Amino acid sequence: MRSKKKDEPGFSRRSFLKTVGAGGVAAGVMGPASGVEAQAVRAAGPGAVPIQLNVNGRVHKLDVEPRVTLLDALRTRLDITGAKRVCDRGACGACTVLVDDKTVYACSTLAIEAQGKRIRTVESLTEGTVLHPVQQAFCDRDGLMCGFCTPGFVVATAALLERNPKPTAEQARKALDGNICRCGTYVRVLEAALNTGGRRG
Amino acid sequence: MADRRQNPPAQAPGQSPASTAKWPPPAERVLLGQSVKRLDGPDKAQGKAKYTYDIVRPGMLYARLLDSPHPHARVRSIDLSAAEKLPGVRAALALKDASKPDTAKVRYQGEEVAAVAAISEEVAEDAIRLIKVDYEVLPNLATVEQAMRPEAPAVFEKGNVTEPTVRAEGGDVEAALKSSAHLVEGLYSTQVQTHTSLETHGGICEWNGDQLTAWVSTQAVHGTREGTARALGVPQTNVRVITDYMGGGFGSKLGGDVQVVICARLAKMANAPVKLMLDRKEEHLVTGNRPSAFARLRAGVDAQGKLTAIDAETWGTGGAGQGSFFPVPYQVYVFPVRRQRHTDVYINAGPQRAFRAPGHPQSCFVTEVVMDELADLIKIDPLELRLRNLPPEADNAQWARYFKMGAERIEWSRRHPTGDRTAGPIKRGLGCAANRWGGGGNRRTRGMCDILPDGSVITRIGTQDIGTGTRTLVAMVTAETMGLPLQAVQAAIGDSNYPFAPGSGGSVTAASVAPTVRIAAENARDQLFARVAPALGVADPATLVAREGRIHVSGDPAKGMTWREACKTLGTEPVSAPAEWQQGLSSVGTSGVQFADVEVDIETGITRVKKIVCVQDCGTILDTLTAESQCQGGIIMGLGFALFENRLLDRNTGQMVNPNMEWYLLPGMSDVPEIDVTLVDQPERGVVGLGEPPVISTAAAIGNAVANAIGVRVRSLPLTPQTVLSALERERPGGTL
Repeated sequence: MRSKKKDEPGFSRRSFLKTVGAGGVAAGVMGPASGVEAQAVRAAGPGAVPIQLNVNGRVHKLDVEPRVTLLDALRTRLDITGAKRVCDRGACGACTVLVDDKTVYACSTLAIEAQGKRIRTVESLTEGTVLHPVQQAFCDRDGLMCGFCTPGFVVATAALLERNPKPTAEQARKALDGNICRCGTYVRVLEAALNTGGRRG
Repeated sequence: MADRRQNPPAQAPGQSPASTAKWPPPAERVLLGQSVKRLDGPDKAQGKAKYTYDIVRPGMLYARLLDSPHPHARVRSIDLSAAEKLPGVRAALALKDASKPDTAKVRYQGEEVAAVAAISEEVAEDAIRLIKVDYEVLPNLATVEQAMRPEAPAVFEKGNVTEPTVRAEGGDVEAALKSSAHLVEGLYSTQVQTHTSLETHGGICEWNGDQLTAWVSTQAVHGTREGTARALGVPQTNVRVITDYMGGGFGSKLGGDVQVVICARLAKMANAPVKLMLDRKEEHLVTGNRPSAFARLRAGVDAQGKLTAIDAETWGTGGAGQGSFFPVPYQVYVFPVRRQRHTDVYINAGPQRAFRAPGHPQSCFVTEVVMDELADLIKIDPLELRLRNLPPEADNAQWARYFKMGAERIEWSRRHPTGDRTAGPIKRGLGCAANRWGGGGNRRTRGMCDILPDGSVITRIGTQDIGTGTRTLVAMVTAETMGLPLQAVQAAIGDSNYPFAPGSGGSVTAASVAPTVRIAAENARDQLFARVAPALGVADPATLVAREGRIHVSGDPAKGMTWREACKTLGTEPVSAPAEWQQGLSSVGTSGVQFADVEVDIETGITRVKKIVCVQDCGTILDTLTAESQCQGGIIMGLGFALFENRLLDRNTGQMVNPNMEWYLLPGMSDVPEIDVTLVDQPERGVVGLGEPPVISTAAAIGNAVANAIGVRVRSLPLTPQTVLSALERERPGGTL
């Protein structure tokens, strides 16, 4: 049901400890003096390491501990707060961002794992002051109430439409099953997903 | 506060001065009643809206709580020293005093024991792990069954089980039951539901000397100011609470939350702003829930299909020391004789809080299922039984009409008698249920409307938008009154420094805020009329109207000036008009019905809801778009209550086993059926709230539809596959239909 993001390998906190010692990601972020074994040991309780994140077309340099999630790096280090922390374990989709054009739960992705990848958040969708067609459709159809889940839904919908510009209702439902709304905006969100106009000139 | 009023009379008792203010006649309304898009939609859709969770203050620290892992224990000691020494920790606080027996106890899992503030969330989490707490673990009560046993340990000072409160009306219930043609007897129950607001409880506290500014995720900026000030022992004038955007509350965020008080204390100690937001597990454990409900009852009907009597023993748990009352019968149908004995059962679990229509969904489920069972006994259409037993029609009691409208929308005529006889495992069924709610205005509501010399307009009112569209509503009413486009006015809300408005609970917000804003805007506009009347050569300012961006003589558009020109006459002095809520622009009481069309697979027990029909009134409809959204949202939350949501406590350890969002199941996109909403406008009644009503009937309608499909009674929620299969097995052992 909500397996869209869960079955993508490499995006879990748990897998980090297994892979950090040998992976190319770790080699890119750890200090040059450390050996592979030492890194693995230090990864369990290390201090901050310098990393670079390409977010919305801009490269940010920051120091984070390896345990810091992409979501927390975005929110508390870069003040990019569109993606929300809700369940914090990959069950609700409020933190959905695009990593190399795929929807990803930022709460269940480590910041250091996202290096070298193209990260796009809800903030990237607006062009100047012109809303992305998906954002416009959410506003027009009232696909939002309290709005806390909305950035996640907007990103997931935009990703769906990038892959499949004319989804059926069934395809849209399936694509948005990884996102949870408590206010109950689903009917409007589906209308928005199925009635998003083309990008404005 | 959310209230439990069963529809008060349509006319609220009068104390406030009667208003001269009126809504414009329906034909003249420009914005009101239309489908107006939310003003804050673009900010929310772009991720620009800054919620409490998103706010960062200069030099801000992050706090975490240490929660009790035990549902019942006495704290013998708390050692903060290791945590305090951790680099990056700026403040640490013990929240239980081991030397005082009365405060040293924890009575539910998740109760706050200690807190730290540190330079990052990660450091704060590390510090929490360094705190050493010595607990004396005490016997706990994890279920109502455990608490009600005679041999149960005495956990609560007041006793684990309260003395029953008895409500008896209409005469001798035993005699009335005895004389009934048919009786239903059974045990009915509903589960504990958690609010699961997506933005957790919490806030950011920043001291400037003895002045505290708190950004809080709350449904009540004024209530939070008062509660926080009281707990801190500081004057209420020293506390300012701000809630610009908030991510859902549903009744759980109406008061001065302990998290905010702890946050303020840490901020004082650390001499820096502190953010404390609960994590998801804490949110499930400590921020409230809908109490469970159990009803063992007998209900009767006579041979003509008139209800005779109902006698109910009810109980439930609101957790540690909290009530669980829900009325039986639900006060829609007329049972001439009724008796209810209710007992509160306390267990070691997080205390309940108001949850969207407190008591109503439980009451509605129990009563509406009984109605269907009685109809089956006398072999009449359950809709017909309902129609025969409704109270007299009133503005806020329109069920007979709505049942007929809803029956048409769901195609009730295709309903088969209980038990779908068609071949195959998929059974189809229909069900229905009614609801009622109060939702009148709060007479203490105040507002302020300013017109500035440059023509800009702002209305300030200390309400908050919890996702219901209140911000848009304030702007709509202001703009309508000024004859200006929506974008030309500002709505300033979500700040306790603005005039008092009640907490957003009990569906009172629209009926409190809209009239007050209307009066403030009229007062401001009339002051402006008085200023421009001489310039227009008009003796009586009351002959002026404001329309389409102009002020002119009524009936003579040429004799006027633009809004901007009019405002220039103010010179350097803005108009600033206060207002207080008055009667006449709002009313009390709603009625509504819902119908469900379901499919049940009797091999797997899985229920799929195909369609929900909703017919609902809410007095004068202010914004058709957001009102419909409110109905859809309530129905979807009711769907979760019907099928999925259930706070599960381990009966041995008292631990919640699903304090997350992968096992505490909320409806997702694929679970949502077709939803058909008919809003009934009552423009002559004035504004009545709509937040609560749509959530009430959904589970009851679904429960009846499931019984109609599978042919056996389903008397408990949620209707999980296990519940459905057990019901089938119980009534038809050894086989299916």
